Amino acid sequence: MLAERAADGDAASFETLARRHGPLMRAYARRLTRSHDEADDVVQEALVTAWKDIGTLQDGAAVKAWMMRIVGHRAIDAGRRRKSHDNLDDQADPADRKPTPEQAAVASSARVALNHALARLPEEQRRCWVLKEFGGQSYDEIAEALGISAASVRGRLARARTMLVKEMEEWR
Amino acid sequence: MAMNPKQDCGRRIEDLSDFLDSGISADATHIAHCPQCQARLAGLRILSTAALDLMSDDEAQVVAEGTGWLDGMLTNLRMETRAGRSIPLSSGPFEELSETEGAVIAMVRAVGDSMGGVLIGRCRLVGDVTVAGAAVEVNINVSARYGYQLPSLAQELREAVAAELLVHTELNILAVNVAFTDLRPPLEDSVEELANDVNKDERP
Repeated sequence: MLAERAADGDAASFETLARRHGPLMRAYARRLTRSHDEADDVVQEALVTAWKDIGTLQDGAAVKAWMMRIVGHRAIDAGRRRKSHDNLDDQADPADRKPTPEQAAVASSARVALNHALARLPEEQRRCWVLKEFGGQSYDEIAEALGISAASVRGRLARARTMLVKEMEEWR
Repeated sequence: MAMNPKQDCGRRIEDLSDFLDSGISADATHIAHCPQCQARLAGLRILSTAALDLMSDDEAQVVAEGTGWLDGMLTNLRMETRAGRSIPLSSGPFEELSETEGAVIAMVRAVGDSMGGVLIGRCRLVGDVTVAGAAVEVNINVSARYGYQLPSLAQELREAVAAELLVHTELNILAVNVAFTDLRPPLEDSVEELANDVNKDERP
């Protein structure tokens, strides 16, 4: 019902949806981008897109998954823009990535291990894994968003999972 | 090491992931009896659980940061609210008055939401509202709460909407069509939640 109202241009209903799902969208965007600033740009763009396109959403019950999918797409776009604008000097070395505050706050050992393992994963694999596990997207959706084949997505995910399981075992 | 065994049974991590997702595999008998596959499955299960925990942590972290960041984004958004079509109002020779379709629909919503048991969903003005005097029908989807007589609720809503439109617009309303598209149990909280979320700046 909220999605239906939002689709009719009811800003209050859209705002309620945005507030309900916003934190997860931001958390998701942070896992898909290189910095918190970039993540917030992604969320802002995703909200603009969602507000513009919510009239096309057929199933109001699927609004959360739909918003997460938009975040995924916008994050991939942001990554492409970054790649085409960045100089090599600006490329952050994944090994140098310092833990962000929310990463430092992670408590349980399995989560700590996963958090560290994720930071060490090559960006392409990490992105695939996050789109699948956090975004709940299918192989085909990820393939389409990244412009690669579903078989490549499967391969990347398998490599990512193998690495992550291995690193988590070493952590313990 | 589970992931780097001396004797590899040849099963791929992809296949085990699929088995974990779907619970079915043509290879289920092998998987059930292969120590290597079992160890890998255990690793994947731990990974999957940790992933869910990490996502909850991430979200909780964002929630703990407050809503200031989202307020800013939503403020930017609201400036882009859709106005819809322009509906003419009669005016003097040197002026041109109109109201937006968005404003009229918002009014219909407000009328419905103020009635007990009714929550307005989709609302459409059907007809050429941009031409003064053109015939217009109002189609409203309604979510009703259990325990209300739907025919009388529809009648009450039709009359209230028509009366409000008569006061605030010059639309030539032929009909107000009410469709009950949803029924809510008595304690459904979407109206309260909507009201709360709109009125509250910060989450507890």
